Amino acid sequence: MLEQIISLFKVLLGQTGIGHLWWGNVLMIGIGTVMVFLAIVKRYEPFLLLGIGFACIVVNIPGSDLILPGGLFHYAHQGVALLIVPPLIFLGVGAMTDFGPMIASPKLVLLGAGAHLGIFVALILAKVIGFSITEAGAIGIIGGADGPMAIFVTMKLAPHLLPQISVAAYSYMALMPLIQPPVMRLLTTKAERQISMGKIREVSRLEKVLFPIVIASLVNLFFPPVAPLVTMLMLGNLLRESLVVGHLAETAGGSVLAIMTLILTTAIGSTMRAETFLTVQTLQIVGLGLVAFVFGTGSGVVTAKIMNLFLKEKINPLIGSAGIASVPIAARVSHIVAHQENPKNYLIYHAMGPNLAGVFGTAISGGILLALLGVK
Amino acid sequence: MITIPDSITGAVILSIIDFLLSFFIITGIGVILAVLPVVNRIWKIDEAKLRRGGH
Repeated sequence: MLEQIISLFKVLLGQTGIGHLWWGNVLMIGIGTVMVFLAIVKRYEPFLLLGIGFACIVVNIPGSDLILPGGLFHYAHQGVALLIVPPLIFLGVGAMTDFGPMIASPKLVLLGAGAHLGIFVALILAKVIGFSITEAGAIGIIGGADGPMAIFVTMKLAPHLLPQISVAAYSYMALMPLIQPPVMRLLTTKAERQISMGKIREVSRLEKVLFPIVIASLVNLFFPPVAPLVTMLMLGNLLRESLVVGHLAETAGGSVLAIMTLILTTAIGSTMRAETFLTVQTLQIVGLGLVAFVFGTGSGVVTAKIMNLFLKEKINPLIGSAGIASVPIAARVSHIVAHQENPKNYLIYHAMGPNLAGVFGTAISGGILLALLGVK
Repeated sequence: MITIPDSITGAVILSIIDFLLSFFIITGIGVILAVLPVVNRIWKIDEAKLRRGGH
């Protein structure tokens, strides 16, 4: 009788996940918990970390079937894998973004290309380590500091690396206030950091309306591989700048963006299963991502310093690092570092120009990468 | 079609082409943005009218 009861309990226990728990699950649950802690207690990028951390905890509980067909995380992941979510995120971002600073300072768009050296340093290093050329391309794009673009390019080049690349990209974007300032200070003098910049011209409504139409047309003409993302970014921006569909612009930049962020973060978190995530490859990708961010920040600052050799009216080189993208975090970092040097210096509007150009810089680099590697 | 070789040389070639081409294209965007204000001489949008007609 007792033996029967014990064996029944054993069967019951076998049907739960407890028997399948291993140290990898415990470690990943710990990582997820730290993310949730940082989001709630430290208020550290809660929009990203809360969903990622929660999903990471849940999928590492043995027996959890939310990632299987029928489970909600599975469908969230499908939205990312089928490249539905990233363009809709871009729609919302476009509806929230004023491209005025970029339109007003055409020369600063160069920083949007200059701050992307990190992509190529990481790409070459990834190849040296032993990744294939397509995997190296996907790893390199982490340096574009643009989450949806990183996901988009990875799904085209190396979909099996999505968990590592998306986690690395979003984690480093959240950590930019820690990563960028030391690099920025190392490459600039105190006098350079104190440079004040003149007032930016006002951009007319007509320019703001024409901008998304012109850019969407050019991107579709020259960069079809990344057109789905940039087109939606421009559509969102047209909704905003046209002033005639305020409700649509508010919905795209509000509810749509919130829902897509929820789906995206849970989808990313749900890919962080111990079985696939705890590998040497993950450590290599995370390391290469950091290299990409450091070099991108540095090359942006150096590009600004090179531009100063030719400009009559000098620019503050700190805005160069904002060219890495990651809107608006990188622009905010430029502003804060400059503000610490000179409390009367307000660089945020100036830094937004290269910051927004960085989005196009990443899209262009990603588009060329896909085209050269023969991926559509 | 010429493909990029899956080697370190291929990665370097890919990176150089991509980096330089990115500069070239973003310069093109800069040029377009620089000439964009010209449209203000041709046409002007009445913002107040747009806002009134919205929704």
